[in-house]
Amino acid sequence: MKKPLAPRVTRAILLTLFSALFVLYVAGPVAWLVSSSLQSEAEITRVPPNWLPQNPSIANFEAIFSAADRVVTYENRRQGEALTSSFLPSGAANLLPAMRNSLVIGLWVAALNLLLSVTAAYAIAVIDFRGRRATLYTVLATRVVPDIALVVPLFLVIRNLGLINSLGALVVTYLAITVPFTIFILISYFEGIPRDLYRAARIDGCGHGRALWHVYLPLSLPALVASLTFAFLTSWNEFVFALVLTQNVAAQTLPIIISGFIMDFTTSFSFVNAAGVIAIIPPVLMAVVFQRYIVSGLTAGAVKG
Amino acid sequence: MARITCAALTKSYGAVLAVDALELSIGHGEFMVLLGPSGCGKTTTLNMIAGLEEISAGRLLFDETEVTWTPPHKREVAMVFQSYALYPNKTVRENIAFPLRLRGQSASEIERAVGAAAEQLEITHLLGRRPNELSGGQRQRVALGRAIVRKPSVFLMDEPLSNLDATLRLSMRGLIKRLHQELKATFVYVTHDQAEAMTLADRIAVMKGGLIQQLDTPEGIYERPANIFVAGFLGSPPINLVEGVIAGGAFTRGDFRLALTNPPQEGRAVVLGLRPEDVSAGGDVTARVELVSPLGSETHLDVLAEGGVALTLRVPKEWRAAPGDRLSFGIDPARLHIFDKASETRL
Repeated sequence: MKKPLAPRVTRAILLTLFSALFVLYVAGPVAWLVSSSLQSEAEITRVPPNWLPQNPSIANFEAIFSAADRVVTYENRRQGEALTSSFLPSGAANLLPAMRNSLVIGLWVAALNLLLSVTAAYAIAVIDFRGRRATLYTVLATRVVPDIALVVPLFLVIRNLGLINSLGALVVTYLAITVPFTIFILISYFEGIPRDLYRAARIDGCGHGRALWHVYLPLSLPALVASLTFAFLTSWNEFVFALVLTQNVAAQTLPIIISGFIMDFTTSFSFVNAAGVIAIIPPVLMAVVFQRYIVSGLTAGAVKG
Repeated sequence: MARITCAALTKSYGAVLAVDALELSIGHGEFMVLLGPSGCGKTTTLNMIAGLEEISAGRLLFDETEVTWTPPHKREVAMVFQSYALYPNKTVRENIAFPLRLRGQSASEIERAVGAAAEQLEITHLLGRRPNELSGGQRQRVALGRAIVRKPSVFLMDEPLSNLDATLRLSMRGLIKRLHQELKATFVYVTHDQAEAMTLADRIAVMKGGLIQQLDTPEGIYERPANIFVAGFLGSPPINLVEGVIAGGAFTRGDFRLALTNPPQEGRAVVLGLRPEDVSAGGDVTARVELVSPLGSETHLDVLAEGGVALTLRVPKEWRAAPGDRLSFGIDPARLHIFDKASETRL
């Protein structure tokens, strides 16, 4: 018998309504970021605001890419006028180098994170060795300590290593933050792969390295992509450690530079928002490229289900 | 071919002893079946032979070479798993070729070997498919293909037919037997299915509690079970076991008496074992028929003899009986099995 019409319609309306609210909640700030980056300072600060740009302009983006060629002094800064968006923050020229720093650090962290986590997770999940549980708990325990508590000790370690103001300092620090968590993700995933596949691989002629390469990695693509994305985004967005461990533009990352715009004499919201849009492009691209790999069911047909 | 020698092979997990000082020698090209219920240590033994379980104590030899600490990928054994264990991201061709690829064989050699194995197993038309596009029987054939393509000296099989339906199991059993005859390799086969064990094995090791209870040919195990456990584990319907005592050279339980050809000492508490088929028409044993189960080719009768002795008989279909009928049948004393009640061993 078919379900009565009224409950079905009510259900559809409620689902649509809550979905719309959820989308608004999640995508609203991003939409406003993009919209305001295309508006002048005057338009952004208008009450009520223009949700959509009345006169869309890419002037803010042009400013970002031409900032390196413009010398901002106390005098010429005043020639600009915040309300018409011709104002340029003093550190604007650092934006693109900072982005490059963020990208380099993010890629190194993602790659090294995967290398370290995959091998560690395989060892803990697959190889039966003495102290296996203790190793796992030790790795997890490092994530119980809040990051902020590690700032000073890490600063001292990094300073003693002579790495302050280097990209290496942030790569090492971000690995310390991300590796335990990705090990944890990968252990769960590896443990979900049927044990008989490991046994079959060993019998077929795989040592541990080959079993990892030929069996575990191809079947763990979703977890690998998730780990990669997590490591990249964590280092891309991180603020506190970057603030403490880097003190000049040679190693400063995007969050530090962008936050510097707000602490300037005057804040250009339109410029900051345009910088924000630039800042979210790499993570968005990453999500678009990798989302097709994040699928389940890769082990379907491996063993009798 | 290889001879496998297990010398006091032991596996313990903490305080739990899974395999207890196992002594077993498997000959060149022999088909050895490890048979027993769940938890008897048969799969653990197989895994130790494969190198998948670390050996707690004892030694393992392939021919004269000790392989106790040799990792599995260096033992030159092939294994077929109950769960098939096919690589889901590889096609059938890639699955079968995988062990050869790892050995660095040339593409043409691999292609030839894969083609031959596929032909032997009649799966040539499946080579381009992935495991999730295959039926259970097809997957198990692919798993066999992956094993035989390497031409190993030892084949290990861990309940390879348990996940298949009855008809498929029968045909796959034939296939495995044929492979053994063609390859002339040493096979070690783990199962809890007595029919598989009886039909495939050259010798059977019946295991319980990490120990071999009896090691013999299928006929030897069936005809001369070493103890009550082995007697009860093989045979369908299971052997009739009746407790009683030896009195006047006969097995006695109340009014139920059976003369024995070679009786143990008088007054000894024993357990009588009678295979359901070891009865003949028209003898001096009488019983009341309780239940009749015709199976077409034969009939199973549940009867109640003197002294309240309940027996199951497997008789030819021509025996006509109905519940409540009185039935007379004969028992050949030479076919009886007598076990000591205390030690449960054969007398």
